[in-house]
Amino acid sequence: MLLKRYIPIAIVAFFGALTLSAWFIDNETIETFANDDATQFFDIIAAFAVFLGALNLLKLQFIKVLKQQSGWIYSAIAIASFFFAFIIGFFIRGAYFVGEDVYFSQKAAEAAILSSGSSEVVVPVDWGAHVQTDGSLFQWMFKYIFSPLSATMFALLAFFVASASFRAFRARNFEASLLLVAGIIIMLGRVPVGSLISSWTIMYILAFSIGIGINIYLKNRNMVFGWILGSCGLITGFGMTMGWPIDQPAIFFLPALQEWIYLVPNLAGSRAILIGIGLGIVATSLRYIFGLEKSYLGE
Amino acid sequence: MKFLEDIILRLGAVDRRVIFVLIGLAVLIPLLTPISLPVRETPTTVKFYDGIEDIPKNSKVLVSFDYGPSTRPEIHPMNVGVLRHMLRNGHQIYISCLWPDGIYMALDALEEITDEVNPDNVSTFDIKEYEDYILLGYRPGAEAVIKGLASDLRKVYTVDANGNFIDDIEMMDGIKNLNDFAYIYSGSAGYPGTFEWVKYGGDPTGVPMSSGTTSVQVNEVIPYVQTGQLIGLLAGMPGAAEYEKLINVPGIAIQGMAAQSFAHIVIVIFIVFGNLAFFLKQRRDRKY
Amino acid sequence: MSFSAILGAWIAAFLTLGIFSYLYRDNPFYKIAEHVFVGVSAAYVAAISFWTQIYPNLFGRLFPKDGPLAFTGLEFDFNHEFNILYLFPMLLGIMMLISVFQQFNWMARWGIAYTVAIAAGLKAFGYLNSNVLNQVKASSVDIFSGSLPFFSLGGDSVFNNIVLVVGTLSALMYFYFSKEQTGNFGRFTRLGIYFLMISFGASFGFAVMGRISLLVGRFNDLIEYSSADYNYATLGVLVFIIVTLGFWSFQNPERKEN
Repeated sequence: MLLKRYIPIAIVAFFGALTLSAWFIDNETIETFANDDATQFFDIIAAFAVFLGALNLLKLQFIKVLKQQSGWIYSAIAIASFFFAFIIGFFIRGAYFVGEDVYFSQKAAEAAILSSGSSEVVVPVDWGAHVQTDGSLFQWMFKYIFSPLSATMFALLAFFVASASFRAFRARNFEASLLLVAGIIIMLGRVPVGSLISSWTIMYILAFSIGIGINIYLKNRNMVFGWILGSCGLITGFGMTMGWPIDQPAIFFLPALQEWIYLVPNLAGSRAILIGIGLGIVATSLRYIFGLEKSYLGE
Repeated sequence: MKFLEDIILRLGAVDRRVIFVLIGLAVLIPLLTPISLPVRETPTTVKFYDGIEDIPKNSKVLVSFDYGPSTRPEIHPMNVGVLRHMLRNGHQIYISCLWPDGIYMALDALEEITDEVNPDNVSTFDIKEYEDYILLGYRPGAEAVIKGLASDLRKVYTVDANGNFIDDIEMMDGIKNLNDFAYIYSGSAGYPGTFEWVKYGGDPTGVPMSSGTTSVQVNEVIPYVQTGQLIGLLAGMPGAAEYEKLINVPGIAIQGMAAQSFAHIVIVIFIVFGNLAFFLKQRRDRKY
Repeated sequence: MSFSAILGAWIAAFLTLGIFSYLYRDNPFYKIAEHVFVGVSAAYVAAISFWTQIYPNLFGRLFPKDGPLAFTGLEFDFNHEFNILYLFPMLLGIMMLISVFQQFNWMARWGIAYTVAIAAGLKAFGYLNSNVLNQVKASSVDIFSGSLPFFSLGGDSVFNNIVLVVGTLSALMYFYFSKEQTGNFGRFTRLGIYFLMISFGASFGFAVMGRISLLVGRFNDLIEYSSADYNYATLGVLVFIIVTLGFWSFQNPERKEN
């Protein structure tokens, strides 16, 4: 119990309190430790946690392969890919300089010197710098394997967002309609095509939409016709008088309307959420420090 | 009328793979047949541009590459633009990364700028490492790294990305922590990024800062712009396109605006059509 | 174009189109690409974390050049002095690695506890200062100023400031669940919901924008790899995947749900 429960709780209480108090206590030793060393400890342990994650991944995939569970071939591929990248990252420098040119191997670099007949020497990159050097084997793996996979996984979501917009996004009530309209205005107003849509087009669309609303709720054909004729006539009259400027009246010009929605009502909602999150985080952090929250122990 | 209703209802139940094909074509066709659309700057982008213009010439600025390949199309054009803008104004750039992939994004951005030539085939930016910029590199730890930078940069970075000792680099003379920079910029795709830089970098030190974020993050970050914690904001790929227009170097963001626009129109049509089909179906179900 | 670049382009095109093939249906190409991603990303992040953090900042401080532990034969010259305190993260780190074995599972708790502690200590102040105090301060806007116009679509105005204050307050009140939201209070919180819905709608719009941008980026890369410079990598891989998938689909017809 001491090792498994009380010491972790004590670690959280002590270091949490120390880090929090370092914001307020004007003592050089505490500040230096909290701002420099304590954060370095955090970074180092986070780096070890990455290794733990990798080890767990390997353990699970190996179990799947050994027990020949469903899809074990793909687990074997995952293991092979891991070791491929691991070897490149830990055992192969992958960057040998000949002047400003970089070669993946010592042999390739020496062959380049021989073929060019120059007197340059091969300079291998330092361990550590080999994972951050332009033109290295590690960077090749990043550019042609990791990068396309990572980017495509996220890009896939574009298709599902489109599908969800068509199949799931329904204006079932006033709140959902508000969400939908705000989303459409932002989507159209923020891109160049929004500035090509005249504010008069928006006014006509609005007039017809209100007409549809009158038809649905009041079911009065005369009112609908009256509204449509009257509003369209008014819009046409104003348009002809003003010469149909594309961005006037500004309130119906999508980019301007979008900007107002973005900077005023949207900001109000976002700010409320931000304040709420901030208060929640403060409360939760204090709960961890005081030992009231012990979810990190699995409790 | 009933025939039209039937068609709408049938289309409303179409297989989702048809939707995938349509959205794919909406993005692909404008990329294959480049269409130029006018880009209109928004106030937050103009504020961002002016914020960089207001930095005293030949200052030291920190640029953080906090994104990876998954969000490269949005953030990379911004960061390339920022580097161009900073270098044009004679600033010395200190590049840090809170994401492990950030270092490669930084290398690519620098390569893009150094490869650029003007119409006379002369390199536009003849920049030198350790004179115009320094690549500090990546450090894991998120907010702990920023806190460390705000206190003592040399405890976090003892060597730069090339393995050279920080203490031996002349460009690092006089740099102890974030207070020694005139401006902080973060091209951020999530955690760690803008929020952490504001909380542990900009706010405690008072150093002016701003950020370029992915579109997904924009709504969460906008309150910081209104309070002045961020000086302007570059919002996603449209923000990057507006910034490219302001710095007068059209790039990949402006090129992508046509595809972005058409895809948005298609999605709006999907939403409207989907709701139309939904209401028609509801009406029919009520009738029967 | 070098051989490594062309080979890389073919691999990148295969992996990209393999992931996209999921749009048709779950298939072996997608599974292969997914598992490669899992394996490579784990090793990639591990390599980066080790060489940028553990190697210079831990080993460099425990085994500096001419340090007290130089007798072990391990010396890492990163301009650090020996600091015995760094045995603490080393111990916690090693305990985390040992926790991979079932019977030592609990050992990870110490390292996790430390990271939770630092995160809690940092976040408590950071969020309070930046998210709460600064945001509340900014909510105190100018309403009675004579210098501001009553309404402005683009800039500051009295109307905009009123909307901001009312919106922020009403949305915040919605999250107060200690009182039943009825009567006038309920009406006020309902207004808050409307502001939140506008905010969520804007978030949806931005989310769509972001996803489409990422798709634009991928398509740009695929178009680049379809050029002669890369030996028409995209086209070659596309034909291969379509033909193979077609054959595979024929052998494994999709089961229609009842």
